[in-house]
Amino acid sequence: MKTNRRIRRMARARKHKSELSLTSLMDVFTILVFFLLVNQSAVEVLEPPREIKLPDSIVEARPRQTLVITVSEQMIMVQGEPTISVADILATKDEILRPVMERLNQVRLTTIGLNTEAVAKTNEVVILAHKTIPFKVLKKLMSTCTVSGYSKISLAVIQKGSQS
Amino acid sequence: MSRPKRRKRQEEEAELNITTFLNLMVVLIPFLLVTAVFSRITIMELDLPTSASGTASNKPAFAIEVMIRKTRLEVGDGRRVLVTIPKTGPKYDLRKLSEALLTIKKSHGDKEDATILVEPDIEYDDVIHVMDAVRLIEVKQPDSELTQKISLFPAISIGDAP
Repeated sequence: MKTNRRIRRMARARKHKSELSLTSLMDVFTILVFFLLVNQSAVEVLEPPREIKLPDSIVEARPRQTLVITVSEQMIMVQGEPTISVADILATKDEILRPVMERLNQVRLTTIGLNTEAVAKTNEVVILAHKTIPFKVLKKLMSTCTVSGYSKISLAVIQKGSQS
Repeated sequence: MSRPKRRKRQEEEAELNITTFLNLMVVLIPFLLVTAVFSRITIMELDLPTSASGTASNKPAFAIEVMIRKTRLEVGDGRRVLVTIPKTGPKYDLRKLSEALLTIKKSHGDKEDATILVEPDIEYDDVIHVMDAVRLIEVKQPDSELTQKISLFPAISIGDAP
């Protein structure tokens, strides 16, 4: 009699136990985690500042560890240090920008650590420039770079799918 | 009595305890989503002449030059202008530029380099788009949705427009 009642109670309890089906959720999570982990492994070499909007292009070359010149709407920064303002560049008539050149030479001379030394030795420079910068500013920057010995110049862009 | 009972227990569905795994996922996914970078940065390498002066001594007879002017694009061969492409509205007609370059590419198949000459007040964005158009052309296949990419002049140099 006692066992009989227990069996009935157990049966009722089993019927009431509702279960969440987590299988599909787990599938989604697993796929997401793998996707994000793979994405994560492609470490970004370049990190553009918030205020700079890079143009888009269809080129596929990956950035390398190089010297970085950032051109925002107001300032030129060489390896993260503000060097000259865009207004100054527009005002000057010189083709070579003295402050930038000094900073480039300084970077070359004062390298600390293997990583920055390798960067300075490559003679490569990447220019991250805002979309609306007039070309004459970039032209002066580029000729300054070549004069300072950084002869391989690359322009950073955001990758897009197709031409349109 | 006891034998059928045991069989019943074995028939019961074996369940994995996935709570810990779920906890891990719940933590990992927001973390990875926050740190994920969806816009990918690539670089466009320029093929600049090695000396800063830019006057090569043995200049080749044929050089493709694309001039970006305020109102139009011009394609030249180093001596004269071959094609002039006016702006369509506020934008440059890059499609026409690519097509003009494709006809040049067909007659000079081994040529890889081109020079883009830019007027001083042109925006950087336009320069990049023109460089894209000079680099390659996307041709739509007539029988399918796919586009075929044809490389035009990938070694691009840049300079001032005369």
